[in-house]
Amino acid sequence: MFQNRNEGLALALPAAVFTGLLFLLPVGILLSEPFQVDGQWSIQGYVDFAFKPLNQVVFIRTLKLGFLVAFTSAIIGYACAFCIINLDGKHRGRVFGMVMLPLMISPVARTYAWIVILGRTGIVNDTIIGLGLSDTPIRLLFTETAVFLGLLQLFLPLMIISLVSSMENLPKDAVSAARVLGANWFQVFMRIILPLTKDGLVLGGTLVFTGSLTAYITPAILGGSKVLMLETLLYQRVNVANDFVSAGIIATILILMSFGANILLKRVAGTRS
Amino acid sequence: MTSTWISRMIIFITLAFLIGPFFIIVAAGLSAGDFLAFPPEGLSLKWYIKVFEVESFRESFALSMFLAVFGTITALFLGVPAAYALSRYNIPYGETIKTVVAAPIIVPGIIVGLALLRYLVVPLNLTITLALFLAHTALVLPYAVRVVSSSLNNLRSDMEEAAVLLGCSRIGAFIRVVLPNIQSGVLAAFILGFVTSFNQVPVSLFLSGPGVRTLPIDMLSYMEITYDPSVAALSALLALMSVIIIFVAEKFLGFSRYV
Repeated sequence: MFQNRNEGLALALPAAVFTGLLFLLPVGILLSEPFQVDGQWSIQGYVDFAFKPLNQVVFIRTLKLGFLVAFTSAIIGYACAFCIINLDGKHRGRVFGMVMLPLMISPVARTYAWIVILGRTGIVNDTIIGLGLSDTPIRLLFTETAVFLGLLQLFLPLMIISLVSSMENLPKDAVSAARVLGANWFQVFMRIILPLTKDGLVLGGTLVFTGSLTAYITPAILGGSKVLMLETLLYQRVNVANDFVSAGIIATILILMSFGANILLKRVAGTRS
Repeated sequence: MTSTWISRMIIFITLAFLIGPFFIIVAAGLSAGDFLAFPPEGLSLKWYIKVFEVESFRESFALSMFLAVFGTITALFLGVPAAYALSRYNIPYGETIKTVVAAPIIVPGIIVGLALLRYLVVPLNLTITLALFLAHTALVLPYAVRVVSSSLNNLRSDMEEAAVLLGCSRIGAFIRVVLPNIQSGVLAAFILGFVTSFNQVPVSLFLSGPGVRTLPIDMLSYMEITYDPSVAALSALLALMSVIIIFVAEKFLGFSRYV
């Protein structure tokens, strides 16, 4: 540890000033915009925003999809992470790598696959028509289900990775001991696995939840204007109506929810250490 | 025995859900037909070739490459000293500086793009390209600081102290002792930054103008107009590019340690 504090400050400041001036300052001004009505400070913008039915629908849908995706990925994540943990070293590394790989691939590419699967001439519709279940293609794109599937595929790896790393600390004998002593799998999960992997669940849940809230591409491609979420609503308000008040409010909601989730995460992580 | 079988099935199904779609894109791009369909109508490479002939794809690919390479290098020039200062010096307001530098991860990209457009590009009359460059740099900076910090924290500081005591200047010690020891961390930070920047969409949504578009944005707007398999082919090529980069990085750097 070097003692010269000014030297250290001189090294760290450029990065902080760069982000502060070019990033935080413009965002800060944007967030303050809804409070200004005709040059005066007021909360009228927020009141008007809250009473529009479309905004309410979109807000609730975004929260709902965020929770659903986080919940579903937790269930699949636990099953998958538990299986990965029980693999031998070589296979474990390989499977883990394949789980991580999609995270590094363009989300546009990842989401585009769902158009091929769910589109009018996609796999699912071809199968349905081929089996004679329906004469005309069913609308699968631009539904909440499509957005849900897209988000789940996008963020599931984050949950699996978090759960696998917290399960690595799980004593291997604990599960078999509980089984030998007569606990069924549900009891094993509730009383041993869940309490010991709580940190991983919270970390994964936060990443998946905030990721789903702030994803743009998935709702844009798979939801379109039929299934708006907060991010796509923001884009539409600005592009269609030049409505910067709504944009500022949606931005504030998104940032508050992300920060809230992060603070919750820090608190949970803090209680452990 | 049955439990291993069940566990293999679970892993297989999950991986099929996560990775299967990529095989579908690759196949959809191989179609000989004019419309996106799966299974493809006949096989041909024409869409994979067409992708390279579309003028706007070439331009936006060049822009995305430029942003990813130079934005990340700039972020490293800002981030490496910051990471060094945060790990080796007891600086005032260290926690605040850390939070400020990390903020771009938490603030959703679409908001950043809009804010930069309204309060930087318009009032200061900046070009879109410069704004994109600044935004991508700020976005990559937190990753650069985090990855480099973690490799600095794994490096004991007595070596540099010894170098300084033996008469090396502080900067000389950094260049000759510290940098060679953290070079794989810096390289990993570059790769992570490059991939993050190249795949970034929301920041660039509002920051696009006539002829100035990043590749993902260009793909999105192409998809709105045309329903042919070229975006599938391009997606497949991009996915392949990422897979190769990550594979090489993992092989030579043990990349996953740093992410």
